[in-house]
Amino acid sequence: MREIVAMFDPRRTSVGDSQILTSRGRLAVFGLIVLLGVLGPVVAIVEPYWLYILVQVLVFALLALSLDFVFGYAGLLSFGHAAMFGAGGYSAALLITEVTPNALVVLPVAMLTGVAVAAVIGWFSVRSRGIYFAMLTLAFAQMFYVAAFADLPATLLGVESITGGDNGIYGIALYELIGIDLSDRINYYFLTLLLVALSLAFLVRLANSPFGRVLQGIRENEERVAFIGYDVRRYKVVGFAISGGFAGLAGGLYVPFQSLAHPQFLHWTVSGELVVMLLLGGMGTLWGPMLGAASVIILEEMLGGIAAWEVILGGIFVVVVIFAPRGLAGVLISLKEDPRNALTNAKNAIENYVRKVRGKS
Amino acid sequence: MNRTKPETPDSETTDETLLRTDDVTKKFGQLTAINDVSMSIPEGEITSIIGPNGAGKTTLFNLFTGKYEPTSGQIRFRDERIDGMAPHDIVDKGVVRSFQITNFFDDLTTRENVRLATQAQYSGFGASDFLRHYTSLDGAVDDAEAVLERVHLLDVADRQASNLSYGQRRHLEIGIALAAGPDLLLMDEPTAGMSPEETLDTVELIEEIASDTTLVLIEHDMDIVMDISEFIVVMNEGELIARGDPAEIRTDDRVQRAYLGGE
Repeated sequence: MREIVAMFDPRRTSVGDSQILTSRGRLAVFGLIVLLGVLGPVVAIVEPYWLYILVQVLVFALLALSLDFVFGYAGLLSFGHAAMFGAGGYSAALLITEVTPNALVVLPVAMLTGVAVAAVIGWFSVRSRGIYFAMLTLAFAQMFYVAAFADLPATLLGVESITGGDNGIYGIALYELIGIDLSDRINYYFLTLLLVALSLAFLVRLANSPFGRVLQGIRENEERVAFIGYDVRRYKVVGFAISGGFAGLAGGLYVPFQSLAHPQFLHWTVSGELVVMLLLGGMGTLWGPMLGAASVIILEEMLGGIAAWEVILGGIFVVVVIFAPRGLAGVLISLKEDPRNALTNAKNAIENYVRKVRGKS
Repeated sequence: MNRTKPETPDSETTDETLLRTDDVTKKFGQLTAINDVSMSIPEGEITSIIGPNGAGKTTLFNLFTGKYEPTSGQIRFRDERIDGMAPHDIVDKGVVRSFQITNFFDDLTTRENVRLATQAQYSGFGASDFLRHYTSLDGAVDDAEAVLERVHLLDVADRQASNLSYGQRRHLEIGIALAAGPDLLLMDEPTAGMSPEETLDTVELIEEIASDTTLVLIEHDMDIVMDISEFIVVMNEGELIARGDPAEIRTDDRVQRAYLGGE
């Protein structure tokens, strides 16, 4: 049990710098966003199908970012972020089909739904720590899954259908945004890119705010944070709710794009895959998990045709966890800091591991 | 077990009493860790709590700071009940502790360890606490510098806390508690494990802090206790067995029997 918790201990794997994203890091991120902005129209012409993949990459990057803010940065091991993702998605689906497809209305509501769901789950869960917190969030998310799958809201309200049960809600129209045709995929791509970039900027700011510093302190030493005068529980719930808002936004972007809200979006496997993205990308860095999400989605697309692509993903995952416990972000940071010794470092990592497995110290 | 209780526990609140306990008992299941303790901590002085291992000294600190709630009895700080309050609310009142085992943020720099503690007095849940950069919270930054200077850690402020020497780590432990802005500072074995030189240095620091803060020490080094304390409380097996100034304690029979071993 202790080993399981230790594996997810952000202190072990995160990049323990005192500030998220240095000025050069910001420049790199900005460059990447500009590159994606240019890439979009090119992809739309050359290989339109890949634009669809890119939107998916962006949505899951946003979701991984929202999770990392609590999981990696604040040390709250949420295994239930699918709940906020799905809740945001379902609220968007219902609003679009029943009320209005106006993005300026629906997306904020999707966010607020994520905040509300996260606040409830957080309020009940933050008293427990580590693996117990993880199990509680997982259980809550599964309750949401079952509620959507069995269409409990419809049963409670005595109407025929709300969540659409195991069929989900389908045939959802795309957003309307004053004067912009979002049924054109490239425009949807730009909207998503813009919102992901703004979310990243906001969460990086939040991570470096007085509030964010307290969250980081809670990750490092929860007890001491309380004994220097912070209400730990309140900080955790607020942090969790903010994270849930961005998960809800991701859901709100995903559902109209897929034209579908399905219970599967709430399933624990979504939360599990998210954690894989975090570990691959390097948790606690905020940008690393976004790379992790992109890698997983793109690998899945390229290798998904092979019958057992999960085995390949699993293999990559094992290699990263063993040899690069700080994930892709850790690899990139060490390459930047120490480019000349990259080969030596890699060799050392392998030698260390072999020594560990053989049990000689 | 025919120990006699100290005659007439004098726990009436006087003008100078900062913290007092009335008949405080703490049980863990069958074990009585603190048994019916009434005491008062005078303001502006150095009080030491002494006693053999397992006497309940650290448990008292845990009760004062809200880690535990007393099974019965009351704890008052400036005449306000603080038993049952959450730890962070008690810190807000002005009661702060440092830990026996160094207990801070290893991965952060020395400066950030202290700044995080000073920040508690400047930030909360207002909009700007979410949106501004933490280094632009000038009050917290300035206070942190002052504390770092006071505990002689300015030179190593940018070093990661886990890379400090043992003596420096102990000073940082005190610095973080100081940074939380205490009126009453509870120090759990501040000199434990230190070399004679480091000890001397720390005693100097303690006396300097005492110039504007009321201190309660848990301390095993009798020379230090007798030297710097104005008031001493002796605990044994969860009970308060004696109190008084160093001269009184030195000659107290019960203390001799229970603790000093007839030195």
